[in-house]
Parts: sequence; structure tokens; C-alpha cells
Amino acid sequence: MEQSLSLRRSLSLEQKKARLGVQLVLPSVIVIGLLIIYPVAYNMYLSLFKVNLVGNNTFIGAKNYINIIADATFWQSVLTTFLYVVFSTFGTTLFGLVVALTMNKKFPLRAIVRSIIILPYVAPVIAVVYAWQFFFDPVNGIFIHVVVEMLGLYDQRFNLIGTPEYAIWVAIVFSIWKSFPFTYLMIIARLQTIDNNLYEAAEIDGCSSWKKFLHITLPELYFVLGTLILLRFVWNFNKFEEVYLLTENVKTLPIYTYFKAFTGVMDLGQGSALAVIQFVLLIGLIMVYVKKVLKW
Amino acid sequence: MKNTRKVIMMIVIVCLVAPFALVAQGEAETGPVSFEFWTTETQSDRMATIQVLVDTYEILNPDVKINLVPVDENEMATQLQTASAAGNLPALIEIGAENAVAFGSDGLMDVVRNGELIDKIGEDEFYSGALRLVASESGDNYAVPFHGWIQGIWYRADWFEEAGLEPPTTWENIEKAAEYFYNPSENQYGILVGTKAEGFTEQCFTQFALSNGAQLFDKDGNLIFNSPEMKEAVEYYARLAQYNPPGPQTWRARDYYLQGKMAMFFYSTYIMDDLSLQEKAAGSLTGENFAELAGSDFDPDLVTHTQMVPLITNTDTAGFGVVVTLGVINQPDSAAADAAVDFARYLYTPNAYITFLHMAPGGMNPVLKGIASNERFQNDPQGIFKHYGAEKMAEINSGMNDIVTFSIVDGNRITAASTITTKQIIPQMLYKVTQEGMDVDAAMDWAESEMKKLID
Repeated sequence: MEQSLSLRRSLSLEQKKARLGVQLVLPSVIVIGLLIIYPVAYNMYLSLFKVNLVGNNTFIGAKNYINIIADATFWQSVLTTFLYVVFSTFGTTLFGLVVALTMNKKFPLRAIVRSIIILPYVAPVIAVVYAWQFFFDPVNGIFIHVVVEMLGLYDQRFNLIGTPEYAIWVAIVFSIWKSFPFTYLMIIARLQTIDNNLYEAAEIDGCSSWKKFLHITLPELYFVLGTLILLRFVWNFNKFEEVYLLTENVKTLPIYTYFKAFTGVMDLGQGSALAVIQFVLLIGLIMVYVKKVLKW
Repeated sequence: MKNTRKVIMMIVIVCLVAPFALVAQGEAETGPVSFEFWTTETQSDRMATIQVLVDTYEILNPDVKINLVPVDENEMATQLQTASAAGNLPALIEIGAENAVAFGSDGLMDVVRNGELIDKIGEDEFYSGALRLVASESGDNYAVPFHGWIQGIWYRADWFEEAGLEPPTTWENIEKAAEYFYNPSENQYGILVGTKAEGFTEQCFTQFALSNGAQLFDKDGNLIFNSPEMKEAVEYYARLAQYNPPGPQTWRARDYYLQGKMAMFFYSTYIMDDLSLQEKAAGSLTGENFAELAGSDFDPDLVTHTQMVPLITNTDTAGFGVVVTLGVINQPDSAAADAAVDFARYLYTPNAYITFLHMAPGGMNPVLKGIASNERFQNDPQGIFKHYGAEKMAEINSGMNDIVTFSIVDGNRITAASTITTKQIIPQMLYKVTQEGMDVDAAMDWAESEMKKLID
């Protein structure tokens, strides 16, 4: 007892602080270790096996990875994923920025409009997806009814969500529409903290609105926008439910993994290998982005 | 001093608790058996009916506790894998025959106890056609047939008659009628065949392939998928799909038929109550909110204007259906497995069985020969039998004996065909052809290479 007391007394203030820091961080480290690091590590381990439903797994080395890389559908899904992620991320950011700039101006009923804008983000995915499917239904949907029957813009009815060449664009538009309120909220929060003196000084110097945006607003928003793009990139890279529920035939990587791993008798080894590849791709891209764009 | 008190307190607590713990452990060894029963009947009204059967069984067998778990049939594989990894497998599952064979070949099903269950019920009581669908290559049973449905083409007999067209029993008649009734400018379509990459598409296609003598394997298990007969069937299917409503379609498009916008559609006998009962059809109509759209009202005459063709003829004649099975799962807890066999046996007793089948008259058909003629079975509470007549229902029931699939060739079990079915390779191929415009030869080559990967 006395020994431990003397040890405690002998610690410097810095050491005590460091010790407290470790104690505070330890619970989180344990939780993250158990819930994230262990599953990731186990997933990597599993990707080297042929996983059997009953009995022992068979070690097959890199065969799962070789099979995936040799599969043309995998490369198609990589391409689809990048198309989906790039367009939906930039679309969401751009739309969120435009809406935030608009909402930053004063106009009648602004408070109500600001509340309504949040709705797509807070509405449950499944409800919104069904609404979109009914909206675009080729036989009974109101969209087709308007563009074909009422406006006569097209000769015949078509399936906007189902047709393979349109489906990915519908998924992108849906993602932008569903996620832009979050971007808008983050940007408007930052916009409201920009010192108004900067704009006044620019006006005295004769700057146009565009120049004010380019030289004051945009630099002030740089890191917010950078972080939003990073977050949206990560989220959309791993997005499953929106794309799967809405279109079913847009095979981004998470959906391709789902079909490979869980359709019919499951192939968990190959599914794990795909998850590892997806993880490595994502981490690699994030590292480049963080270094080059966010300059951390 | 304080520490000494703590130690004494701990010893006292341990002494007080230990006897109870020991008694509890002793009870666990000889006490009630509990197991999970996974059903694919996830609808709340069906769950309620099955729960009544479970409760009744538990009253008769107070030592058995059954936990009824609803599992979507598309999620069954995922859930089983997860449960297997966690060492928490159910003892009994309700599962389609093709999936039972695929899982069984992976060692998941308890062939001994499933065989035992068939023996208890009596092998002769089953339609032999249904039993054949769950048999392994060595003659074991991966699961036990429980109920089944028949697929067919449901069509507007009044429209056909008016147009002077023959019933859609042959390839020629079907295509002719589909083309005749296809009128997209009036929002009317000729036929519904599945074109999404999912099970419904394979179900529609299988009947065409088999009616053209096209198989996945020969009777010795050699892959013969890429044959002229199969190519002809794929080409024909793609032509029919042109008369579908726009875009990839699945069973849900049957709503358009109930709205009076389609002449023919492939469906199982599960459609019978939607056709005849207003409250069942309501979910398929366009609703009062879309007054401008046709098809918002229930058509009480639709049931009499609708006929069903169960068999399709080209070079061969083929019917299609699915047998749903009960399967005891291979697991270490033998007491639970034995209790599951006993509970399953109870589900086949006439009263329990008929109660189960009446959840979807026409959809759930008996696999036991004696049940179809049972008076109580023929008096379903929804009156479906009366709507269609006992003769039509008997015809549907007898179809349980004639179900053909890719996985039985000349009486031989081809397990690999079941795995191909569960991996949905054929519907993916048909999606590529009908929706992505892929050349038939290229799509078939792709499908063949995917099949070979699975077999290897």
C-alpha cells in the first residue's frame, strides 16, 4: 500500500496526465478493438479460406482474391461504384452549397422553408424508396402519366428506375436528393460564422458577388467542404440499402458483395475477400484525399 | 479489517447462491426441451395461426418449449449461416425443396431424422412426386415435403374468346396471344414473364425450357446447359418478354392483371384468393387517390373470367411448382432435434395440417394424398374452394405429383442443379438478354462459365 502511494507520488504531473489519458481512452480502445478491429481481422483471416456451412474451413490461400480479380463483373462493379460515388458526392455537395447560400439570404417564410428542406434526410429510407417506385412506376406512376399522357414528351411509357442505362442515374439523383440536407446544414452553420466585415471590405473595394464568393466564402468553407466530401465519399462507397432497395440492378461493390456472399448457398470466403478489397480501396483513397486535399 | 469483512461477506454469498445454482443446473439436464422453429410464413396473420398450433402442441407436451421465428425466405441462407457460426441453429425450418437440397448437400440437414419423420407419417401417404424432390443421390431425405404450389398461366378467358384465340397451352398460342393483346399506347400488356434477376424469373423460364426438352444436366450429371433446345427456349422467352410491361418485371406486376391491364401472367396458385376476394385484391388496385388511372375498382367478375393453364406444350409438356418442406437441422442437441421431429409429426396430423394449409387455400396444397378429399379441407373458411369448385381444386392438388425441375433428370438427383438455382444464374442470364440486350449466345456462354465455377 505504502509502496504504491510512494510510486504515485513519484510520478510527475506530465506522467500523471498521460496516465489519466490512457485510462480515459482505454474503454473506447477496448470497445473499438472488439467491435471493429477484431471483425476486420477475422474477415481478413476468413478471406483465405473456403468457408463451409458445417465442419472445418479449408485453407485456399489467395484463391478467393484471384477468382475475384479474374471476374469481369467485379471490375464492372468497381466502375459502377466510382461513377455512383463521384457523381453523388459532388452532386450532394454542390446542391447543398447552392441551397445553403440561398437559405443564408433573408426572404419571407425562410424558417418554414429551412425546416421543410430537412425532410428528405430524416424520412426513413424504405418509405421514400417506395414512394419513388410508385412515382416512377411505368404503368401506374404519376411521372409517366404526366410526361407521356399529359405533356406528350415521349411516345411510349418506359421504366425509368428499372432500365439498366437509366438506373444508376436515378440512384445518383436519389442519393443527392436524400443527402443534400446534411451538407446544407453543415455549410450554413459555417456560413453564419463568417465575419461580415470581410464582405463589407470587399464591397468597398468594388468586388462583384461572384468575386466575394470566390475569394471570401469559398476559402472560408474550404475545410468544411473538404470534410463533407470525405464523409460523403466514405458513406456512399459503403452505401447499400438505398441503391439495393431502389434499383436492384445497380451493382455497386457492396451490392456485388452481397450477391456473391449471400445469394443461395453462401460463399463467405469470397464475400470476405471482396470486403477486404473494398476496405483497402477505400482506405487508400481516403489517405490520398486527406493528404492532398485536407492537407492534414 | 475491512478486507476481512469483505472476504467473509463473499463466502456467505457464495454459500447462499451455490445450492440454487447447482439445483438449476440439475434441472437443465432433465428439464424442458426448447428449440427454434423458423418459418417462412412471415405475414402476421399466418404467424398467428402457426402460433396457435405451437401453443396447442405445448399444452399437449408441457416439457417442450418452441420458439417460433419468422424468417424471410430470401434471408434464410444468411440467417442459417449466422446461426451456424454462433452455434445457435434452429432445430426445425420451413424451406423450399431446392434450398433444402442445396443446404443438405452442404451437410446442414439431418437426413436420419428427416427419414425417421417420413417413416412415422408413412412413405406411402406422400405424393411420390413430392418425395422425389427432397431425395438425395443416395436415397436419403434432405427434408420432408410439407405443402406446395403449382405454377401456371392465368389468363383472361373472356378476352381470348372475344378475340377468337386458343387458350395459351402451347408456345405458339402463348406468343400469338401476347402479341395480340400487347397495346402499350392504351397501357395494356400481353403477358407477364419474370425478367428481374431473381427466383420468379427462373420459375417462369423453367417451364418453357422443360417443355422444349432443355435440361441443365443429363442423367449422369454432365452439364448440357448450352444446347440448341436451351437456346431456343431463351430466344423464345426473350420474344415473350417484349410483350411485358416496360422494364424488368417480377411477380409484383400481377397487380396490372387485377387492374385489367394485362391478358396473361405467370403465377402460382397463391393468386386464387386475390382474384376472388375484394379485401385481398385491394392491395393490388390503383386506389382511390388515383382516380384518373384505370384499375382502381375490384372486378367481381374477374374470377369467372380467369382461367389457368398449368401445363405448357412445345416438344414436351411441362408443369412447374414448388414444394415447401419441413427440415430437421443437423445439430449437437439431440433432445431438441427429437422434439422437433415430434412437433413436425404433430403438424402432419389432419387437424393441424388442414389448419396450416387453410392459411392460403389454393396456394398451400397438401402433399399427403388423403387430405385433398378430406371434407374439412374442402370447406376452407374463406370459401376459395367454393369459388373455384372442388373439381378445379382437385386438379390443382393432383399437380403436386407432376412437378418437374432441373434437379431431377430421368429420376436421378442432380444436386448441382439446385445449387445453380439458389445462385440465380439463369435469371441473371435472362436479365442480361431481355434488359441489357446481350446476345443470346454470349449470355449463355456467360451462364455456362458461372455454372462450371460452381460445379468445380
